[in-house]
Amino acid sequence: MKAVKDLLKKREAAVFLLLVVLVLGVGIVNPIFLKPDTLKGVLDNSLILILIATGEMFVLLTAGIDVSLGAVTGLSAVVAGLSLNAGISYGGSILLAVGASLAAGIVNGFGVALLEIPPIIMTLGMMGVLRGLMYIITGGSWIDTIPTGFKNMSGVSFAGISVFAWIVIVMSVVMTAVVKRFKSARIFYYIGDNEEGAFFMGISVKRGLFFAYSLAGLFAGLAGIVFVSRIGFIPMQTGSGQELRAIAACVLGGVSLSGGVGIPLSALIGGLFLTTIDSVLVFLKVPAFWNDAIAGAILLVVVLLDFRFRMLLEVKEKKERLKYIRISRNNETGVVR
Amino acid sequence: MGVEDQISDSSSSPEDNLAALKGIWKSFNSVAVLKGVDLTLERGEIHSLLGGNGSGKSTLMKILSGIYRKNSGKIIIEGKEVNFLNPSQAHEHGIYLVPQEPKVFPDLSIEENIIIGTKYSLGSKTREIEEAGRQLGFTENLSRPAGVLSIAGQQLMEILRGLLRNASILILDEPTSTLTFKEVESLFVQLKRLKDRGMGIFFISHRIQEILEISDRVSVLRDGVFVLNETAGNLDEKQLISAMLPDDRNPERVRPVKLSASDMDKPVVMSVNNLCGEAFDGVTFDIREGEVVGIAGVVGAGRTELAEAVIGIDQNVTGEVAVQGEILSRRNPGTSIEKGVVYVPEDRAAHGIFLDLKNLYTTTSSILPKLGRIFIKNAKEREIGEGFIKKLGIKTNGPDQIARTLSGGNQQKVVISRAMACGPRVVILDEPTRGVDAQAREDVYEIINGLTDAKVGILLISSDLEEIIRLSDRVLVMYRGRIINELSRDDLTIENVTSGAFGVIQ
Amino acid sequence: MKVKDVAKRWEVIIFLLLILEILLVGIFNSSFLNIRNILYSTTDFAHISLVALPLTLVIITGGIDISIASIMGLTSIVIGSTWSLGAPMPAAIVLGLLSGIAAGTFNGLLVANTDIQPLVITLGTMFLYSGIATGIAGSLGASGYNGIGNFPEGFLSFAYGSVGIIPSSMIYVILFAVFLGLILHRHRLGRSIYLIGVNKEAAGYNGIKVKKVIVIAYTLTGLGSAIAGILLTSYFTSARSDLGSEALLPAITAVVLGGTDILGGSGTVLGTFIAAFFLGVLKQGLMALGVTNNVSQVVIGLVLILAVAAKLGIARYRKMSGNKRISTE
Repeated sequence: MKAVKDLLKKREAAVFLLLVVLVLGVGIVNPIFLKPDTLKGVLDNSLILILIATGEMFVLLTAGIDVSLGAVTGLSAVVAGLSLNAGISYGGSILLAVGASLAAGIVNGFGVALLEIPPIIMTLGMMGVLRGLMYIITGGSWIDTIPTGFKNMSGVSFAGISVFAWIVIVMSVVMTAVVKRFKSARIFYYIGDNEEGAFFMGISVKRGLFFAYSLAGLFAGLAGIVFVSRIGFIPMQTGSGQELRAIAACVLGGVSLSGGVGIPLSALIGGLFLTTIDSVLVFLKVPAFWNDAIAGAILLVVVLLDFRFRMLLEVKEKKERLKYIRISRNNETGVVR
Repeated sequence: MGVEDQISDSSSSPEDNLAALKGIWKSFNSVAVLKGVDLTLERGEIHSLLGGNGSGKSTLMKILSGIYRKNSGKIIIEGKEVNFLNPSQAHEHGIYLVPQEPKVFPDLSIEENIIIGTKYSLGSKTREIEEAGRQLGFTENLSRPAGVLSIAGQQLMEILRGLLRNASILILDEPTSTLTFKEVESLFVQLKRLKDRGMGIFFISHRIQEILEISDRVSVLRDGVFVLNETAGNLDEKQLISAMLPDDRNPERVRPVKLSASDMDKPVVMSVNNLCGEAFDGVTFDIREGEVVGIAGVVGAGRTELAEAVIGIDQNVTGEVAVQGEILSRRNPGTSIEKGVVYVPEDRAAHGIFLDLKNLYTTTSSILPKLGRIFIKNAKEREIGEGFIKKLGIKTNGPDQIARTLSGGNQQKVVISRAMACGPRVVILDEPTRGVDAQAREDVYEIINGLTDAKVGILLISSDLEEIIRLSDRVLVMYRGRIINELSRDDLTIENVTSGAFGVIQ
Repeated sequence: MKVKDVAKRWEVIIFLLLILEILLVGIFNSSFLNIRNILYSTTDFAHISLVALPLTLVIITGGIDISIASIMGLTSIVIGSTWSLGAPMPAAIVLGLLSGIAAGTFNGLLVANTDIQPLVITLGTMFLYSGIATGIAGSLGASGYNGIGNFPEGFLSFAYGSVGIIPSSMIYVILFAVFLGLILHRHRLGRSIYLIGVNKEAAGYNGIKVKKVIVIAYTLTGLGSAIAGILLTSYFTSARSDLGSEALLPAITAVVLGGTDILGGSGTVLGTFIAAFFLGVLKQGLMALGVTNNVSQVVIGLVLILAVAAKLGIARYRKMSGNKRISTE
């Protein structure tokens, strides 16, 4: 039991291993899959999802949820697109876009942390607001033209992997290190693992929640930038539903939906895994329209398995404790006569 | 020899004391829980606090540790007067309360659990914690998640939290109620070590045996005042017990005593056979028609757990329960009610009443199927509600009044009405007059009388010893999960019941 | 009597707001003040009402169901696919209904038998159901915007017919509302729902079959979603997996606006009914002002956030002033 428990904990490693096995397995069936270009493509395709998932992760750590991230990504993309088209510099456009998404995250944080509105309500409402906002500022039309230079940024490579991918990977690794070492970054875990206990131990729960949602907005904003560069045009539906895939990616990568467990690398690996499955299905000639069903089934299975395992462990511990109590009761009653 | 003589003089001046509380008053909802109490703690001393439920010992310690604020009085720590607005401030002054239910972050490492909320960064105090842990006999690897700890381990972890915060005063609130004997022994060894290092420890407990074993001094709190403050070496169980008893022993029964002679002839309405669970073991007893069987005991005795097991809320038990000869297999609250066994829960707010709904809804909550074949017949339901309001003397505007707006006593009557609505054969009452004013209390006793007249068997769980004696035909004394004594009407004295509840059989 | 007053108050308020709103819209668009037009405008929102009404019951129990939109799509696809495979229309409709009901029951079973939060469970099933719908649609070559079409005439009248001046869709909504209202307010199942929502533990202690009630509540939501799915399929004359994908936000908003406490324990069918109506008129009104469907989301989103914030604020204010009275500090 202990070995399995340990394995569960190092979920990231397990999933990564599974990923490698999966890739190799598919490669055997269809060797084109293993070509560097294909793998590079999968990595690049996963960047947007990974970024959104990273943002979502912070919220999930606090045992919350954010269903507005897809809309935030869309907002960021739209703001970037409009700025670029208005002649604003690349840097300026990026700043505006990220600023907008950060602002959205801050509003979410305000609602959840200070007004104590349940996260599902706050972020669901914000989703509507942001989607509508997107329509308003674009006048309802897609943004078709993005400066070529901006689009080319996604093509820049370094040592065989695109610069964007490098940035995301390095960022994820660094953040994982930060979040494991630095006390101030641990606040999300405290809140998620035992919110009441955290309050008792003097932790500022409101502050932590506020930061979680703000960070989520920030990362969704980054995802929007990557989107604009890679995809090159911005339809109204940008980002729609992505937060759900992001949540699935996090869960796959080891983030617990009840809070307190998970690292940025979870989002990375989970995002990679989901994107790989999509590609795998293509290479196995499975029609793409089954992707969501499979993702959903995996999500449910993972959640249920987690539950089952926890139940089994609890029952086992209870039984052992009972035995222990019985034995000691039989030896001593502690009664004075 | 009056009680006052037993309070020894403070032999040290305030500056020598590690901690001194003077004239502490605390009221909740205009009910005074602490009435100007004084208490001191020396360095290197284990000072135990003893008292019945509601005596105020927990409240006093929560004031000391910054969780509650006193209404008046002084707190002096090492000669300086202090005023705490929150627990963190208490921590800064070296006071740490180990709560009855440790606050655990299960997915974080034990080490991190200990340094949460302090200014220390991860890993900066590892060696110190390890060393302190070793001295406490803490064997668990600090990097393992705190979820693996047993309750005993969690407590040690809380103590380590206090040590890390350089606590000079440690408060332990009922630390042993969930521990096995061995774990208690182990804990005591650690406490002695800490005391030898100069720490002052407040130890709250219900277990007289343990108190006498571990303490340097014992103070007994009763009704918000200290009635005893003495060196442990000078005390024995008898003295402690009599200190806790009210001044008027053996209260007269207000209502006629039921003739016990015919008791044994009445049919058995419920029998429990060798019930074993996590909190209790080998429980066997019968209840007869119209009989009141009292179960006396203190917190941790396992009485509520027993009741919950009887009606099937706790399914992890072995043993049998039979109602009128029929053995109930696969019990759950619903089937228990069908078979005629109803439970009036100890925690009214959490388990017994629907505070934000009409009181009528609570009254009828267990008999919904009887309110109508397809739809609920409103008229019929109201009739039932109004009937009980009248019968039980519930002070309310009517069945529609929201339960939350009723007083404690009336809320309790509503909960009882729910039980009575089921037409039960056995009613298990768990602390039926807790939080109930004096008049309502008498009303409840009348109600119980009425039930027994109607041949209903009553299992009465109560920490109010006077109550148990007044109402019961027989009393079972439960201590740490076992029924250690049975007292018939003739043997019932308050001393017998009290000492048994605290683990002492005379 | 006091309780009745309180309950009446919110439904009356929202009803008055509705009247006010209709009048306001009428000012901008005088043709709106025609009864026929008002009623016609409800057809747009009927599917939201059908889903919001049973969702009320689920939320009262303290849970939530975000898979409702996916169940709509699933029902639609099941109907479309079985039809295109040759099944007679009534059979296809029945199968669609059954699949929606089954989806709801599955949700309920998971919620009742595990301690996993309903939000998490229905998140997963939302994914699963929409994925299944997309998968089935795709394998029949009906992915994306095409959908499955060619339905018989009779089916189309489902959404477009009317009885007198009342559109059929509104009749379905009213019937469903009456049905659910009777259950919630007159039947012991409904009483159990309130008891569970106010104090789930106490409900268990009092012998209420908590699991059974929860399963039924989610099943009813599945039923409502299924009917909504049938309605939409008929309305658009096309079976698509993404039908109703925008329904979640307005549905939850209708429930909350109708007076239901998002944390459970209180709410009425009537309130949700009126609130859904209110939102429907709101959309119509906005459209009359030239505000498109997509942008009205902003308004609905804001309504949701503000409604919940306001309710929480009022509750907290009451608690604080109550405490001030008893506090002795």
